[in-house]
Amino acid sequence: MSAGGIDQKRVLFSWAMLAPFIVLFTVFVVYPLIQSAFLAANQTFGPGTRTFVGTKNFELLFSDPVFWKSITNTFIYAMGSLFIQLPLAFALALALNSQKLRGRGIYRLIFFSPQLMGLVFVSILGALAFEKRAGLVNQAIAFILQDPKYLEIDWLQQHVMATLILISLWLYVGFNMIYFLAALQSVDKSLMEASEIDGANAWGKLRHVIFPSVKPVATFVVLLSMIGSLQLFELPYILLENSGGPENSGLTIVMYLYQNGFDLGDLGYASAIGWVLAIILIGLALVQVKLTRAQEVRP
Amino acid sequence: MQRLSNTILALRGLSSGVWVIATLLIVSAFFVLMRDPQEKGDLRFWLFSLEHRKMYIPLIERHEQTTNIKLDVELMSIPAIQSRMMSGFFGGLPTADLIEIERAVAPQVFMGPTEAIGLHDLTDLLIEEGLLEQLNQPSLAPWSVDGRVFGLPHDVHPVMLAYRADITEAAGIDVTQAQTWDEYFELLRPLMADTDGDGKPDHTPLSFWYTNQDMIETLMLQGDGQLFTQGGTPTIDSERNAWLLAKMTTWCVGSDPVAIYVDEWSAAGHRDKVDGLAIGYIAPDWMCSIWKMHVPGLDGKLKLMPLPAFEQGGRRTSVRGGTMLGIPKTTEQFDRAWEYAKLLYTSPEVARELYREVDIISPVRSLWDDPVYDEPDPFYMNQRKGRMYIELAPEIPLRPSSPYNKQAAIDVRDAMGQLAKFAEENRLYTIDELLPRARELLAGVQRQTERRMARNAFAAEDLAAAEHGGEE
Repeated sequence: MSAGGIDQKRVLFSWAMLAPFIVLFTVFVVYPLIQSAFLAANQTFGPGTRTFVGTKNFELLFSDPVFWKSITNTFIYAMGSLFIQLPLAFALALALNSQKLRGRGIYRLIFFSPQLMGLVFVSILGALAFEKRAGLVNQAIAFILQDPKYLEIDWLQQHVMATLILISLWLYVGFNMIYFLAALQSVDKSLMEASEIDGANAWGKLRHVIFPSVKPVATFVVLLSMIGSLQLFELPYILLENSGGPENSGLTIVMYLYQNGFDLGDLGYASAIGWVLAIILIGLALVQVKLTRAQEVRP
Repeated sequence: MQRLSNTILALRGLSSGVWVIATLLIVSAFFVLMRDPQEKGDLRFWLFSLEHRKMYIPLIERHEQTTNIKLDVELMSIPAIQSRMMSGFFGGLPTADLIEIERAVAPQVFMGPTEAIGLHDLTDLLIEEGLLEQLNQPSLAPWSVDGRVFGLPHDVHPVMLAYRADITEAAGIDVTQAQTWDEYFELLRPLMADTDGDGKPDHTPLSFWYTNQDMIETLMLQGDGQLFTQGGTPTIDSERNAWLLAKMTTWCVGSDPVAIYVDEWSAAGHRDKVDGLAIGYIAPDWMCSIWKMHVPGLDGKLKLMPLPAFEQGGRRTSVRGGTMLGIPKTTEQFDRAWEYAKLLYTSPEVARELYREVDIISPVRSLWDDPVYDEPDPFYMNQRKGRMYIELAPEIPLRPSSPYNKQAAIDVRDAMGQLAKFAEENRLYTIDELLPRARELLAGVQRQTERRMARNAFAAEDLAAAEHGGEE
């Protein structure tokens, strides 16, 4: 058999191995993507209706106050994740990385356990915990402050975004903690020892050894959290019963997409929302790639 | 030979995890292949209620024996039915031959032009077979578009007021004397005293809050408030709606509100009900069985009465919830499906079971004479509540089938929340004081809804046609 024949066989074999992925990827990713781009230039109103509107969906979208409200809400949530959730996850990882702490495995399991239960279950439990009058949170606040008026705090009506951020803390702090723990465990011990010999205190070690060592993982976790936050759907959907909450205070981009596509039957408008979200996510992914490359290049 | 030995060596190098996965794959594939294929029926029926299923099965089995037409009954959740059905309608794919559709889902089915609706228009058949006149007319409204009926109604769901008769009777108060909400609250005011010294009223007259969209909608309907005309034109900013919104807000604000938040579904809410936190509860017929199942502590403590009206001589009932049975256009056996539909939705046997099992009254008026509805119910202090609900059934308000109703109802709830906040911030607690702000807020909701409709080329056409045609 000629060399060329072998090559051809190899190429065919490679394609055969790739075929299942290519078929599935085309059917479930590429085709829907093309279809959604086409839909974004159309309007629908239930089955059997479609009219071409060009860029009108996007024009309407950018002048739609509810869309901007959903963007604002989503970014508030993302900021909450970034500035509360991740520092907390890092702090927990630091604490649980300490050799002096007994029962570290148990603590890790406890903090990670909400992930094992699943988002829907945690959301339902969260709704119960934040219930007015009988909820665990209000009961605790009223007990600590010794004032029954705190039983009447209506978290899911008056403090929607705070409630979403708090429940997501419960859900994701342990998850992100695992990433940080893995990063902390790979910090070069010789560097730590060297810093100790040089007389560095805890803050000095954190600043000059730990932070630079975990930076690539931190960048990854930040971007992962941002992307996850922008795709937020299940938590508010369950907590607010697909309503967006009072005055749309808990409406996220994906919820707005869902409402338009499935409640109002306008798949075109929903596709336009989807594309705006996709562009934001692609932008974030590019930032991640750039940052990761920059870190790889740096000595 | 060399190649074979290389392969074996490569396989030996695989980790134990790979072997576990491979074993599981082979074992599960074997079981899947060995499984007996289920015998498929002639027709498929999707439904979401376990109780409905239990009632239908004996009837279906008997029908199968006589006709030899097998019906597969597939129970699934409402969202599952919604997504499968709508995917089928959008893609022109087969769904089921019969589908039970819940009220919250129905507007999505009725989106778009009438001819594009994925269900068969049953109007002519209903007329031909004399069924239309047998059905409670207002119960057809949520399943109708442009005067055409697309589903058989499963229920009526009239609403009454359930009240803690044990408490009111012990206090010597005859609540049934109250003809209007104002009279009701006045009668119950003595029970609001704080005798236990916890700084809160012992009881509050009504379980209602400005955050509960369903209750707001139910009471607005009772008071002749309408968010849309039957033709789908938004009428959210009507003077009547503004008045109702202001009126209901006055119940929730001020130093001694006559309404209180009691969760309808949670264990904590059920505890509050047993404790008598609120005296009165908005009670559609289906809620009677919910309480029997989930709040046994209320057994023998509740009585029912028609809702107090907003004004003297006003409507004493409303409507909440509902289900219909539709036949998708994709069915290849319409006649058989129609026979089953009639059997399940108009049979006296199912109607009787429906009431006995889940306290729901049938929309078929010819079945209202059934003695089952006159049976006293010990849970409700031996009241003949079936008869009471039936007496109110013809008076239930009409509900629109607009796909924009759900979002508009949510926006109205938000408007009420803002009105309550405004009332508390400005210490304005009367209807007259709140009315101007209520008008403003509802005008905002109207604009928002119109903007939502105008955004959609198809709905905008309807909106424009209605505006120019002077639709009523």
